[in-house]
Amino acid sequence: MTRGEHISFRTGEEVSLSIDYAIVGSGPGGSAAAAILSRAGFTVALCEAGAWRDTEHMPASLYGSMRDLFSDFGQLMSSGPAMIPVVQATCVGGTGVINSAIVVRTPESVLDTWARDHGLGDFLTPAAMDRAQSEIEAELDVAAMQGKQLGRHNHLLLAALQQSGREAHATRRNAAKCRGSGSCLQGCPTGAKRTGNLTWVPEVLTRGGWVLSCAPVSQVLFEGRQASGVLGRFSHPRRDYRGPRGARFRVSARRGVLIAASATGSAPLLARSGVRLAALGTGFRAHPGSGIIGVYPDRVNPLCGTTQGVSSLHHKDDLGIKLESLSLPLDLLPGRIAGAGPTLARTLARANHTAMWIAAVNADAVGTVTPARLPTFRGGPFGRNIVRYQPLVSDTARLRQGCAILARLHFEAGASSVLPGIHGLPTELSRDEIHLIDEAPLNNRAWTWILSHLFGTCALGSDPTRSVVGPDLHVHGYRNLHVVDASCLPTTLGVNPQHTIQAVARLTAERLANA
Amino acid sequence: MHALCATLPASEKVPGVDPKRCAEFLRRFSREAPRLPRLALHVAVLVFQGSPPLTGAGWRPALWLTPEALARHSEKLASHPLYHLRQVSLMLKTMAGLVWGADPAVRAALFMEPYADDPSHWRER
Repeated sequence: MTRGEHISFRTGEEVSLSIDYAIVGSGPGGSAAAAILSRAGFTVALCEAGAWRDTEHMPASLYGSMRDLFSDFGQLMSSGPAMIPVVQATCVGGTGVINSAIVVRTPESVLDTWARDHGLGDFLTPAAMDRAQSEIEAELDVAAMQGKQLGRHNHLLLAALQQSGREAHATRRNAAKCRGSGSCLQGCPTGAKRTGNLTWVPEVLTRGGWVLSCAPVSQVLFEGRQASGVLGRFSHPRRDYRGPRGARFRVSARRGVLIAASATGSAPLLARSGVRLAALGTGFRAHPGSGIIGVYPDRVNPLCGTTQGVSSLHHKDDLGIKLESLSLPLDLLPGRIAGAGPTLARTLARANHTAMWIAAVNADAVGTVTPARLPTFRGGPFGRNIVRYQPLVSDTARLRQGCAILARLHFEAGASSVLPGIHGLPTELSRDEIHLIDEAPLNNRAWTWILSHLFGTCALGSDPTRSVVGPDLHVHGYRNLHVVDASCLPTTLGVNPQHTIQAVARLTAERLANA
Repeated sequence: MHALCATLPASEKVPGVDPKRCAEFLRRFSREAPRLPRLALHVAVLVFQGSPPLTGAGWRPALWLTPEALARHSEKLASHPLYHLRQVSLMLKTMAGLVWGADPAVRAALFMEPYADDPSHWRER
């Protein structure tokens, strides 16, 4: 093998590589760590379960996005009394490819909590995080959205928040040249979103590393208690592929293995590889959320403007909720509005007059992620891990408060009605009926939840009985094995996690490079 | 197809799920989707067709209902007290939305640009 090669799906003989570091997963954590180790002169092999899609390969429709980018065809659900969809991507660049590119620095209070309650390595100080996040922002074209980039639906929320005296700001995003096409969920059609597939992963190649795409890792290899590489088999990105099976691949890693397969993927991979730790797969946390759609007398054009261009942290501490705007693709709107048949059709006829604003809850609920019980046939070994998670009643109560605030903000912004999407309430509410949201049931099944911003399952901590990785992110009891993605974060953040994941991975990689 | 068209019919201003596009979509979906979502859609369609007695729309399968009874059935299923029946409706609405939201005629009626084709390509080297 020559250095600096991208290896995608192939059949035939086993692909065998011998390098310094094997990194599993190319999302924000994996790609950040890979870039730093490559810059330090180490040979790196980045193994990604999904395909590598460049800007010209990005799907236009939501169906295309489910097929080409989403994990498990968009059908990954948390199990429990209420089924809640989990938003994740499986592709080079990971979930960063489909998220709204929001960049928020790690709150210092969160770092303090981690240091006090869990134990943080001396390389993860607030000053170090600050430096790493400044460097990342410079590399990824981070800027606050402004002017025409925002579009009317974002400006409406910004004005309503400001009028009500709440903190509000245009989001800072790693997409300074965003054209506001409102299609982040389908992958950026212009390349403005500076995600791993366009930035750090190509850099790994130019610095002589390997990128294995369509390459789900099935197992981490060990020599005694020392991680020595990874093993897997190439998986064709098209489900209707009927040719020969993909070749096996084996990556031998002299210096170590870094796991960054996501909060739903890393723990099951370690469990399948024989890692036995009591806390593995536990402590799964998230920011579950829901939204309120406002219907306006004149056209809003909800898909013109940045997907999530305005945010408010006003209620971050008192209610534990974050308020944001969201461009929902037209294809998703019917699933978000109550009713069906002619009533739904009449409501959807006003789709271009709607704006959706969401409340994300900094939830207290804790769940688990375990490996699939049954073998998957063509989905690859990451398919259908079992996520068990339900928001607590207190979380639902906070969501209810957030939705009631959003409904009132819609009316302050000039909406003629709101569509709550809450079971038991009318499909459409007037200003006089907002109190019905305040009184909405706290049963999770009444709400249209979505689960994003996933944390935990390989949480860091100094106590091996209650954590999976130590303060320096090495897996307890094993050598040369680290976890550098959202799964190592022991609590929720209350803000978008991508920037924190990137910074933690970057600092861990710097520490390994300097060791 | 009948269930998806009934879930999201045309309104006065905007077309509903187009049967031709729906048939094409279902062919693609059968070919490209994993087993679990395909199974879920089949189950949802079966439940939709068999559940008019549970929504008070009559004793006949949904396929044989009058347009008025079918509209009532779709509406009641979406707001049924049983969570799993509501989830059936949600599955149908989601699938219908994928067909409807990508239809250029619908997008034009809502003053939205049509989607480009999904390239379905990836970096092979």
